Amino acid sequence: MAQRRGRILAIKWGMNPNSSSLGVDVTFLLVGATALAIVTPIVGTWLRWRVNKPRADVK
Amino acid sequence: MWANARELVRSVRDRIAGARPMRRVRFEQFGAIVQLAWPRALVFVDRAMARRVARSTGEPAAWRGRETELGDTVLSAPLEAHLQLTNQCSAGCTGCYTGASPQGAPHEWGLVEWKRAIDTLASAGVFHLALGGGESAILPWLGELASYARAKGLVPNLTTSGLDGLDSLVQIADRFGQINVSLDGLGATYAAVRGFDGFARADAAIRRLREHKREIGINTVVTRHNFSELDQIFAYAKERRLSEVELLRFKPAGRGARAYDELRCTADQHDRFLPTILAAAKRHRVRVKVDCSYTPMLAHHQPDRALLAELCVYGCTGGDLLIGAKPDGRITACSFAPPPPELVQIGKQQRPRVTELETYWTQPGAFGAFRTWRDDVAEPCASCEYHSLCRGGCKVVSAHVRGDASAPDPECPRVRAIEART
Repeated sequence: MAQRRGRILAIKWGMNPNSSSLGVDVTFLLVGATALAIVTPIVGTWLRWRVNKPRADVK
Repeated sequence: MWANARELVRSVRDRIAGARPMRRVRFEQFGAIVQLAWPRALVFVDRAMARRVARSTGEPAAWRGRETELGDTVLSAPLEAHLQLTNQCSAGCTGCYTGASPQGAPHEWGLVEWKRAIDTLASAGVFHLALGGGESAILPWLGELASYARAKGLVPNLTTSGLDGLDSLVQIADRFGQINVSLDGLGATYAAVRGFDGFARADAAIRRLREHKREIGINTVVTRHNFSELDQIFAYAKERRLSEVELLRFKPAGRGARAYDELRCTADQHDRFLPTILAAAKRHRVRVKVDCSYTPMLAHHQPDRALLAELCVYGCTGGDLLIGAKPDGRITACSFAPPPPELVQIGKQQRPRVTELETYWTQPGAFGAFRTWRDDVAEPCASCEYHSLCRGGCKVVSAHVRGDASAPDPECPRVRAIEART
């Protein structure tokens, strides 16, 4: 039986230099769910492509 | 033009090359968190995708229970740790949330202790550090600590006022993932918010850092004095070719507790916050980040809830997605919160240190009200469709205004409106 592909639940973009709270990139709210619907599969493909790369540091 | 094109090509090439060794996976009950170096992101995936990405042969310990939804349970460790390396700072800002002073705090840790803290955080699986102060740029060992964090697999990021320690910071800027300079207004507004005229020096620091590094942004604490200037702040960021503007809500902590009534935004400004910043970000094509305490103000405009969840927009994330540490190493739910009370289970008289994170994290009652929002929810939050994301809003504001950290955020537009009717 084929293995389920799985799904991306969320993406936290960028890094937070602010040492007082969690900074979340909300620029995507400008373009809405459509843009994210395009980006998310690309990130998913990128993750799966990397399966063929050296093993990740897993904790 | 050709110089810009060459810089772009070099940047893309370096990022792809740099992405290869930098990839970590941390298993969680819902699946896993995958850290990507490029694009710079933490990707939350379910168990099925985690199996493919991590190529895990066995079932990790985190998967012993049933597969949960993201947000149903506390993470196995924070995503990021906010380390207040020192409380030394000569700026004397009116609203400083740490109450920083030139003398600093008693019993501040040094390089050796913070390296131990990084060992603990790396062992726990923390991804990012946000280093701040006080003014951490004045610390002679900041560069060594940043390198140590990198070697342990954590990405150090930094906030600086840009007012002190700039010469040494420029030399070590490449060790940080992102550096943001605090800029709470332009020209005279800077002085109105901070209590002294430091704009020219902060601007000079931003220019100089940007000459050496692409990932330079600004942190702006939004107050009633600079709200009307937000568009100009985005224009400034564009003009200086900065990578982002991060907007922070004014918190009643440190000296900020006394200045809170004078500086906090008005209800009308909070209501207009989201459309104002999105319009500015669009007009000037600058990325915008907001801090977790702004989630009630985002929810006020009823954005797609699923979209917020996919963007990892959460309200209070203290003691879960993030932790803080005071200059003496005491652990906090977030940088604005006081250290939590000691726990009997740990059997120690002193409050837990960040080096005890792994022991403290799983203790019943750890982080107090910051962890009990799932069970302690009352109206009007209980009937709010965004509660699982918002988590009741900013607990530091609630504790200051209501005397109860678990009370609904009094500045939430929905809470305000409902309470006004009753």
